[in-house]
Amino acid sequence: MTAPFLNVQNVTKVFGGLKAVNDASFQLERHEIVGLIGPNGAGKSTLLRLITGILQPTSGKVFFKEHDITGQSISKTVNKGLACTFQIVKPFRQLPVLANVMVPCLSPRSRRKGEWVKTVELRARDALEFCGISDLAREPASVLSHGDLKRLELARAIATEPDLLLLDEPFGGLNPAETTLVAKSLKRLHKGGRFGRLHSEGPAMLIVEHKLADLMPIVDRVIVLAFGEIIANGLPEEVVADERVIEAYIGKEVKGLEARSQ
Amino acid sequence: MIYFNLFFGWIKQEIFAIPGRVIALVFFLLLIALPLVTQDPFYLRVFTLALIFAIFAASWDVLSGFTGQLNLGHALFFGVSAYTAGLLNIHLQYSPWVTIPCGAVIAVSVGLFAGIPALRLRGFYLGLVTLTFPLILLGILFAFPNFTGGELGVSGISRVSSSAVVNYYTAMVVFTVSVMIMWKFTDAKSKLLRTGIILHAIREDEITARASGINTTYYKFMAFALSGFFAGIAGGLYVHYMRIAGPQTLDLFFSFQAILWTIFGGIATIYGPVAGVFILYPLLEFLNLTAWGELLRQIIFAVLLIVALMFMPEGITVWILDKIEVKCPRCKVVNVFYRKKCRACRAPLHLVRESAHQYNKGEV
Ligand SMILES: Nc1ncnc2c1ncn2[C@@H]1O[C@H](COP(=O)(O)OP(=O)(O)OP(=O)(O)O)[C@@H](O)[C@H]1O
Ligand SMILES: [Mg+2]
Repeated sequence: MTAPFLNVQNVTKVFGGLKAVNDASFQLERHEIVGLIGPNGAGKSTLLRLITGILQPTSGKVFFKEHDITGQSISKTVNKGLACTFQIVKPFRQLPVLANVMVPCLSPRSRRKGEWVKTVELRARDALEFCGISDLAREPASVLSHGDLKRLELARAIATEPDLLLLDEPFGGLNPAETTLVAKSLKRLHKGGRFGRLHSEGPAMLIVEHKLADLMPIVDRVIVLAFGEIIANGLPEEVVADERVIEAYIGKEVKGLEARSQ
Repeated sequence: MIYFNLFFGWIKQEIFAIPGRVIALVFFLLLIALPLVTQDPFYLRVFTLALIFAIFAASWDVLSGFTGQLNLGHALFFGVSAYTAGLLNIHLQYSPWVTIPCGAVIAVSVGLFAGIPALRLRGFYLGLVTLTFPLILLGILFAFPNFTGGELGVSGISRVSSSAVVNYYTAMVVFTVSVMIMWKFTDAKSKLLRTGIILHAIREDEITARASGINTTYYKFMAFALSGFFAGIAGGLYVHYMRIAGPQTLDLFFSFQAILWTIFGGIATIYGPVAGVFILYPLLEFLNLTAWGELLRQIIFAVLLIVALMFMPEGITVWILDKIEVKCPRCKVVNVFYRKKCRACRAPLHLVRESAHQYNKGEV
């Protein structure tokens, strides 16, 4: 019995008087895609930030590949094989799109794997290609539309060839066509393989998303967060039927999904 | 013969086709030619100091312009090296070839020390802390007047050479090497070093840089060390040229001078601060020659800066390059402004000329 790939143990985060995340525990296996859903302000983004180490948990521990990464600097965690995207996009605005993706290709994790100076640019290009924005490679990031910036976030995250991807609303601001495209790419990435010079080991994923209709088909498991607490953790169809989940969502989106599947 | 042709072809492609590089080449040739044209001590003095100040301003640009670590007390590095070199020279009679590197090494360690607040502070908060550093050092220096000369500083320091021309060329060689290193270190397009891209990234968004797996602490300290090193070199050269290491090397206004030169010339470019120094410094020195100029010096300087910031907010070099260079919309190769088609991919250029700048800035 090996330890879980990602193990979040009783993590709590208090902002002033507010418990944004309250005693959350869950595990994630190497082969899984897990959805993390919950109403606005439930603490999903905060939970992701606690895992990546952007925030220090008030209490609790996070283990990744059996290493204790609680509150460890995010650059170290990224070099261990974790990657994340931000809900509010944070590109290097004045740099060209290509340079945005070259930065992660220059991290020690990517550099170890080969002759970096020459291949960095090519690898960055392949990451852009994968996300479908390679035609924008030379534009400064500041001219991109929100949807393209979201995809740039994803390209930046996969450029380090991670083993675990934490995605905060990857479909946010994308139109339906783009959403389907990105959902498909994620599925493809998870299967693993080579995308040009970019190698994918088929990363495990934890995806925070509000667009349940697009999320449900690609996830193996769903974790539901409400007021900082995990109220459900199971297969998509089980979770959708859960009383407490329906209550937390005031029945709205979950019912919509049921109607779709029928 | 074939090598000559290859070489000439390369020059044509890489220098003559790009207006900015032609200007840089002309500037460099003029620097070499200056002592051949005039050996007037006044001119040589003005341009020797301009060379030294250009290293100083460029080193500020590495740290604050590229890496985004606002340093309002940059004279600290200059002054600490100036005093180190001066004291070593006076008390131990070391030659400039020893004292200047020693000063630079001390400036590097001071730079690393000054980098500590940058781990927690950003922007103006960091600026305020760094602002106090030269003042602290001044306090320490004034506490030991017998050793440091107090308000008067240490004087009687030896020169690199007794010949003004040799001094000028020494400064020029050091300037050229320093600026080339700083330029390579910070150039995002460099194929040799990739530090440029990383420094830009840290300035743009440090969290994203860290989330990309970059150890930003390491690179920030590297920027502090390198910036300190070259400011230190400038400080060492300065004392061995002026023959005095005084409190003015740590002056608050001297720190601001680096910022003014850089912003006037063009921030985050390396050639910007060089241009800024070589335009503003000689201009003000020449104004000093005339009676009315001396009176109006401050006003002229202020007006010049205001006008420059209003009409050329990104600096004079960026403004000029924008006028004489066109970036191909398709392949982003730089072309001379009068070309109709891109020299690399033959895409028409006249369509983009008006809107290109705004587009590149993301205003449209
Ligand atoms: N840095 C912070 N300081 C104080 N409060 C915070 C901070 N970050 C988040 N919060 C609070 O914590 C709670 C959870 O926020 P979080 O961003 O994690 O929600 P979320 O589930 O991601 O919501 P959304 O779906 O809108 O993205 C919110 O009430 C928010 O106001
Ligand atoms: Mg969120």
